Amino acid sequence: MDTLLSGQLFVAMLVVGSLYALVALGLNLIYGTMRLLNVAHGELVMLGAYVAYWSFSLANIGPLISMFVAMALAALLGAAIYYALLHRALRSTTLSERIEANSLLIFFGVSVILQNTAALLFTANPRSYPYLDTLVHFGDTTISMDRLVVLGVSLVVCIGAVLYLRLSMTGLAIRALIQQRDAAELVGIDITRTHLLSFCLGFAMAGLAGVLISMIGQVSPFMGFPFTIAAFVVIILGGLGNLTGSLIGGFLLGAVETYGVALTSASYRSILIYGVFIAVLVWRPQGLFGGTRVAR
Amino acid sequence: MRKTLMTALIGVVGLALAGLAQAAEPVKIGFSLSKTGMFASAIPSQLNVYELWKDEVNAAGGLDVGGERRPIEFISYDDQSDPANAVKIYEKLITNDKVDLLLAPWGTPFHFAVAGVLDRYKFPMVGNSAASVQLRELKAGYIWFPTSAIPDRLAEELGKLLTQQGVKTVAVTNLQLPFSLEIKEYLMPVLEREGIEVLVDEAYPPGVKDMTAMLLKVKNANPDAVLSLSYPSDSVLYTMTAREIGIAAKFQLVLIGPTIDFFGQMFGPAADGLITVGHWSPHQKAWPRAKPFFDAYVAKFNTRPDYLDSALAYMSVEILEQAVAKAGLDKEALRQTIASTTFDTINGPVRFDGVQNATTPTMFLQIQAGEAQIIWPPDQATANVIPKPAWPE
Repeated sequence: MDTLLSGQLFVAMLVVGSLYALVALGLNLIYGTMRLLNVAHGELVMLGAYVAYWSFSLANIGPLISMFVAMALAALLGAAIYYALLHRALRSTTLSERIEANSLLIFFGVSVILQNTAALLFTANPRSYPYLDTLVHFGDTTISMDRLVVLGVSLVVCIGAVLYLRLSMTGLAIRALIQQRDAAELVGIDITRTHLLSFCLGFAMAGLAGVLISMIGQVSPFMGFPFTIAAFVVIILGGLGNLTGSLIGGFLLGAVETYGVALTSASYRSILIYGVFIAVLVWRPQGLFGGTRVAR
Repeated sequence: MRKTLMTALIGVVGLALAGLAQAAEPVKIGFSLSKTGMFASAIPSQLNVYELWKDEVNAAGGLDVGGERRPIEFISYDDQSDPANAVKIYEKLITNDKVDLLLAPWGTPFHFAVAGVLDRYKFPMVGNSAASVQLRELKAGYIWFPTSAIPDRLAEELGKLLTQQGVKTVAVTNLQLPFSLEIKEYLMPVLEREGIEVLVDEAYPPGVKDMTAMLLKVKNANPDAVLSLSYPSDSVLYTMTAREIGIAAKFQLVLIGPTIDFFGQMFGPAADGLITVGHWSPHQKAWPRAKPFFDAYVAKFNTRPDYLDSALAYMSVEILEQAVAKAGLDKEALRQTIASTTFDTINGPVRFDGVQNATTPTMFLQIQAGEAQIIWPPDQATANVIPKPAWPE
């Protein structure tokens, strides 16, 4: 019982939850606006982590600065992939009908290529760097500074992104596109521009998540896949295309990982996570926070 | 004038011929490693050693094959982290590429997978990065294992070490993967026999992203020792979380991770006092080859060798090199030599009994001032066990 009420566990839930939310938000943005299943999302996280690692070890630039570099590079990569692989398919009516299945295959290829390119360029050696690892105390709760920074940055970005999408004109255009693609085009929303924007934004958020994750774990070419899986679980929980939902979904998954384990045992961790996942798919396929109809 | 020209010509021809004689036919050495796929991040520590060894031997004039020096040439393939591919590759290396010698693939399942091929073609190979009680069930003959970190022996020795340190209560957390599960299976009866009470016993699946809940249970139980039977990525999670929540046990074992280069870079002084598994250290003065190997590895790759896989991989090539110098490339002579000789390695003298290393004792290491020191057994120790200091702020 002490464990359940401890601030330590609550902070742990916030840290994992905010990371899950950040990774999932980027993925959901791309799925919501374009119906693209980006299974290479975790590889962008990996690339972001390498940007942070190399910036730190070669140029002594800390992750709080290199995160902007990582976001810009990820967004550029997003634009390149968009124009090279997806632009034509999204504009053509026949191809765009099959875009969901095709994008899964395209991104699977992208994912394997990125992993192995990283392994060739950087070798598969796991890497890490020391950054801000002093301990900070709040009453009887202790957290290391790097985890506190991770929590702060991902919370600010997640909440900022959700507010931006709710309040700004561009955000409204993106959400209009998520809800009704054809109607959005009729009222004068520039589809290509909005697609490109949300694609790059989604990539940038993955790059940022990578920088944050590199501060608290090891960096390797194959680190991304578990985050892709976690992000898919989160967006199923929160609802495909529902951005606020994936924010809440991220914290829900974080809570299962911390409170779920505290209540049962660590060996139930995966069973709990996928149990919740399947339960949601069966009883609320539109997601916990989705409307009654999945927006098409 | 003519005579000098002739002399010069003869000289040139003579030099060219000497050059030809020098360029002896290379010794072809084959292997497969998981260059891509889920195990790819584990193989650099082994592949680097193979490359280092090849460069060292070639720089010294080549591999001594029963008295004749011949350059080493590698033929290697990527098994994509699939043992079934490794089987096909070793078959191809033997029958198609007609290699002279074989080096080991990475990891226990791959060693098991290729053992049958070695047996069928009567081709001897010195294994390295494999450790399991099951390897004793392999037919002795064409494969050998230099490791002394076999789970049942590890469990026995850990029991003795805990008792020596006056540990009465422990918390055990283990990852559900083969090596840590096997150790736990043998460890639990040993703990009971030694009269050590298990206060927390938690298992967790691969891929956990947070350990706070589990380790709070450990902290609340306040055991004398914590045994984290973990692999590198969850060893990071253990160390980070244990420090954050302040697990104060004076004996903390982290199974695999603390001796890998990135771990020290990440934690620095926070890793001090952690005990880990391993049976090699460059600080052992009794093994004169140990420190030069460590220095050469660091100079070439700008990172430290892994104390388990890199050390084992280097032992395997040392054994092969010394056996070939004695027996040449004849497979049967080579097999008999490997099976019966005592070899001089970076881990001290090694002699095989069946498939197993019969000489190297099972050991434990402790990180002290950033260096991995052997602390068990006492007659092999390079430093005394120290109680785990308080985590740095």
